[in-house]
Amino acid sequence: MSGTRPGEPAGSVGPGDAARAAGVTGISVSNPDLPGPGATSPGGTRIGRPAGRLRHAEHVMGTVFSFDVPASAAPVLPEVLSWLHWVDATFSTYSGGSDVSRFGRGELTLAECAPELAEVIAECAVIKEQSDGYFTAWPGGRFDPSGLVKGWSIERASNMLSAAAKTGAGGAGPSGAGPGDTGASSTGASGTGHSVNGAGDIQCTGEPERGRPWRIGVAHPLHPSRLAVIVAGRDFAVATSGTAERGAHIVNPHTGLPATELASVTVVGPRISMADAYATAAFAMGGAAREWAESIDGYEAFAVAPDGTTWQTSGFAAYTAPA
Amino acid sequence: MRRVVLALGGTVAGLVMLLSFRSHMASTASAGVTAGSGGAGTSPGSGSAAGSGSAAGSGSAAGSGSAAGSGNSAASGAAAASAPVGAGSGTGTAVTGDAIATPYGPTQVQVTLNAGKIVKVTVLQHTDDGTNSQMIDGHALPLLDNETLTAQSAKIDAVSGASYTSAGYIKSLQSALDKASA
Repeated sequence: MSGTRPGEPAGSVGPGDAARAAGVTGISVSNPDLPGPGATSPGGTRIGRPAGRLRHAEHVMGTVFSFDVPASAAPVLPEVLSWLHWVDATFSTYSGGSDVSRFGRGELTLAECAPELAEVIAECAVIKEQSDGYFTAWPGGRFDPSGLVKGWSIERASNMLSAAAKTGAGGAGPSGAGPGDTGASSTGASGTGHSVNGAGDIQCTGEPERGRPWRIGVAHPLHPSRLAVIVAGRDFAVATSGTAERGAHIVNPHTGLPATELASVTVVGPRISMADAYATAAFAMGGAAREWAESIDGYEAFAVAPDGTTWQTSGFAAYTAPA
Repeated sequence: MRRVVLALGGTVAGLVMLLSFRSHMASTASAGVTAGSGGAGTSPGSGSAAGSGSAAGSGSAAGSGSAAGSGNSAASGAAAASAPVGAGSGTGTAVTGDAIATPYGPTQVQVTLNAGKIVKVTVLQHTDDGTNSQMIDGHALPLLDNETLTAQSAKIDAVSGASYTSAGYIKSLQSALDKASA
């Protein structure tokens, strides 16, 4: 992968920067009771949802993180959002003063940076090895771990919600199983699981409704508002890499040229940090990705070619639901 | 009723998105400009639009790039759209959006709701001037019908796709889902 930051420089000027600046400096984390339907927070919009569920869209990292959580998660959500803005400030490649930028210029040693940076670099190294160099934190020789940071932060945000649910007064577990284990705000058939969707890459836990798995539509890369496939599951992640809003932007690091052999690749599996990085690597590989994806344990892939034909790995069918 | 109305707001925003996307793909014109210029006042021949405000609200939201604004617009559009307009077939309530100015001329859709679900999308007005526009209509409008119904009936919780920017999110299916909370 190369330079696959959620928001490219041109896209994050204007409203994106305003939202980011407001979020970094002005996000309210002191209010444990998040406002109700229609109210806004500095970085996003709060959207009410019936039946014990809550949705929130947060503008951060030049994109939007969408949360679909049980209402009992409301007290912890501000902390999660604040952390995402911290990640943005620390890992931004567009802010010259971020740890990542200063490390990249040699102004800081790794030990002087936030310890999370070492964690991200270590994960990048693992995936680079697994992907034969198709995924790298040094695209074009410049340090840019953005390809991992988004998935990593989605996963961390999800883990924060799960941890709070386990220790919270309501005891709403991340598995979504077990009736009667939720707090007073959870009613009827609403599930206790959550999903975190960062710019199209999603980590899900438990169930959105009792007895029903999450259903995630995969946007069709050639017909932007049509779904190419629907995947379903309970504790799983879905990541899609493809040609984004302004055209091809994933570069094959071995050739330096934009990857064009596939229109999009979707990877499903347990962890969004891995699924996202695998999807990026697979997209850069192009046609060779099918055999490679088949070899990755625990993860399955689905791809759409520019001519509209599709392929999937042998285990992908376990995730597909009738549309 | 409020739930239905919010869902409609999200869906109409989705329709605006579709129109914007088609225009964008075909011409590389700014989708924001397309959506933001929507409204009866700028669209010739749109005087017959009833229950307007719905599409106009969403259109201005898409153009403004403000998530907070889009939420408000959906709600205000809902107030106007809640007035039934010509439930002709008896199988639902039809709501007509404003004509939206596109680079290819005004486009207007009517959405038929039954028990809170979209059962039909009708294109009332579309461009008919010039070869280029006809080609786009012929391809895009049938897709518009199918895609809207597919997304509505698929009962999905979230959408995975290629990364979008903060501005692109506003035109995304995920954005429509977040608004509708369906």
